[in-house]
Amino acid sequence: MDEINPSQPVNPTPPAQPIPAVPAPIPTPLAQPIKRRDFLWTAWGAFAAFLGASAGAMGKFMLPNVLYEQSQIFKAGKPEDFPLGVSTKLTKDHRVWMVRTEKTLYAFWARCTHLGCTPNWFDAENRFKCPCHGSNFSIQGDVIAGPAPKPLNRCAIALLPTGEILVDKSILETRPGFREKKQFQIELA
Amino acid sequence: MNIEEIKKKVVDSQIWRSMFRGGVWHNTPRDRAQHIIGNVWLHLHPAKLRKRAVDWTYTWGLGGLSFGLFFVLTVSGILLMFYYRPTVDLAYQDIKDLQFVVTTGQFWRNFHRWAAQLMVLIVIFHMIRVFLTGSYKSPREFNWVVGVILLLLTLLLSFSGYLLPWDQIAIWAITVGSNMASSTPVLGAEGPFTIMNLKNDARFMLLGGTYVGEAALLRFYVLHCIAFPFFAGVFMIVHFWRIRKDGFSAAPMDLKDKNEDKVDVWPNLVVREYMMAILVTAGLIALSIWVQAPLEEIADLNVTPNPAKAPWYFLGLQELLVYFDPWIAGVLLPNIIVVGLMAIPYVDDNPAGVGFYSIKERPFANTFFIFGCVVWFVLIAIGTYFRGPNWGWYWPWEDWLLHKPPPLPTWSIPNLIGLLLMGAYFGGGIVVPRIIKSEIPFKKALWGGLGAITLAAVAFKFVGSGLIEKWSGFPMEWGQVIWIIFSLGLYYILGILVPQKYIRTIAWPRYAISMVFLLMTIGVFLKIGLRLGFNVKYIFSLNQFGFNI
Repeated sequence: MDEINPSQPVNPTPPAQPIPAVPAPIPTPLAQPIKRRDFLWTAWGAFAAFLGASAGAMGKFMLPNVLYEQSQIFKAGKPEDFPLGVSTKLTKDHRVWMVRTEKTLYAFWARCTHLGCTPNWFDAENRFKCPCHGSNFSIQGDVIAGPAPKPLNRCAIALLPTGEILVDKSILETRPGFREKKQFQIELA
Repeated sequence: MNIEEIKKKVVDSQIWRSMFRGGVWHNTPRDRAQHIIGNVWLHLHPAKLRKRAVDWTYTWGLGGLSFGLFFVLTVSGILLMFYYRPTVDLAYQDIKDLQFVVTTGQFWRNFHRWAAQLMVLIVIFHMIRVFLTGSYKSPREFNWVVGVILLLLTLLLSFSGYLLPWDQIAIWAITVGSNMASSTPVLGAEGPFTIMNLKNDARFMLLGGTYVGEAALLRFYVLHCIAFPFFAGVFMIVHFWRIRKDGFSAAPMDLKDKNEDKVDVWPNLVVREYMMAILVTAGLIALSIWVQAPLEEIADLNVTPNPAKAPWYFLGLQELLVYFDPWIAGVLLPNIIVVGLMAIPYVDDNPAGVGFYSIKERPFANTFFIFGCVVWFVLIAIGTYFRGPNWGWYWPWEDWLLHKPPPLPTWSIPNLIGLLLMGAYFGGGIVVPRIIKSEIPFKKALWGGLGAITLAAVAFKFVGSGLIEKWSGFPMEWGQVIWIIFSLGLYYILGILVPQKYIRTIAWPRYAISMVFLLMTIGVFLKIGLRLGFNVKYIFSLNQFGFNI
């Protein structure tokens, strides 16, 4: 058929420009003509990159650099202040339980490892129970029942030369074997 | 001058004529059409519609009501904003002021609260209605997707507003909700395969801090009052425009009666819309006068109320959190539900059953969808009525002071067996209905299969209970046998028999996608059975990566 096939797309860019018969005096790489298509690709690419970078910058904008939150480090009194067992007297101000056993003293961050509610200590049943989804933890912090995936977090703890306890809630440990290290419990003489 | 003359003078004045064009009303078809077309608010409607499309029992006016509620929520919300300051020191006090000091402040707070809850309900009903009448089918697939986004925005609006009163239930609902963001895989500090910490993960970005405090309150205020309504508005414009372009609540042409009558939208439809709006607004006003919106004690991050319940429409999710790790229940499942809903119109290529309610023409789609909705509302009912202190199981007639024994210790199925079970479950569910090419007698297969399952379960009680006892430390009981029969029966009927009968011949990709979604829906139900009946914690567990199923 001689007819032009209408479904054949017409190429908007002409084939490469024929080299002019008269040679250019000084051919430089800059003189290479940029194709319209390449130019548009570059332009749209730059625009997309700009949009992507803007989205990233907005994302970073949403992450504050300075937090006006309560300090994670606090002094918790002296070891003698805590009788054997679980003490909840720091829960209200610092969200921490102090646990004293025969030989050691350690601090739990009072935050359920499931979804962050504050469990309650039940002395008679010897366990922590979370009111949100029913997770139960032993006095060692291990999950006894319920959906919590990890044991309770223990906070870094140290005995100052003054005899006071220093608790740091920003350093946490859940794994058995690691949580018994010196950083996470005070050995009592 | 009498009244008639005054009226005539006013109507004929240049001012009136410039505001309301259209001339003298003769109540001709042309006038009625002009009333719709010539009015910026009403011209969202077409001038005429098929009679079936304006029936009460076809749409129930649910879409219009959703928008109406959005409108009254905007108005009451603006009013509340005049008195509310979003800071930790002032927010709770301002709500108290609204309740006790501001004239009609209590009323507007009640109204805003109840209208919001009603809107969630109506939007969900609207979605169910659109599904059951097949109104998402071509060419309206994309508008269904926009609708799902609007449902999501409705839930987000409600969720973000929940924090603003700054009382105990507010802060704890948001604490639990935002901690789910923290369990996102990779991007959440507590999720599986995480690469983030508490100070740069998804939750931190949402809250602007490491806990629900000042920054979070301000963020939720801005999201609630500006960002979410803005996006809701944008998507509503798209939603309505497409409804209009696609012929409104299109009852498609009746092939038996091609000359079916059309009725004028004014007054037939518009009057119905006004009636619905008036009824619902009146109901809301009455409710807001008689029932007070709850307000608990001021927020305290160190004391969790017991039990801490999310708003009712999230209680299904909260109940799921008991049976699954947060990254599944709080992140994976909601995302699958949303993606699954959006995929519906592209997966369902059955052209039948558009414009009316029918289970006969769409047996598989409607069975599956109704099953999903029932599961969802059953979970909500459990969370609302059957959960008491420490999220223990309390019957509605039981006193919450009643002491419940601590829950039994849980156990996990060994990984290899769990993997095999899941493989058999999904593999069997996907392959079996498809490879049985012929029609099988449904009733015979149903009763035969259920009988076989019962026999097998009873036999397992005597043979396999030693195995169960070895892993879990408990012998098998008859209650558990019933659980097994129920679960396997559900899997057999909904997961194998029904798809075998109805969708075994559709194209492979559509078939596989439908089956994966269906099996996941049933699977959620079965995992709940494993936990409640057998105290199984995980089917498969990689604890060091936090990856547990």
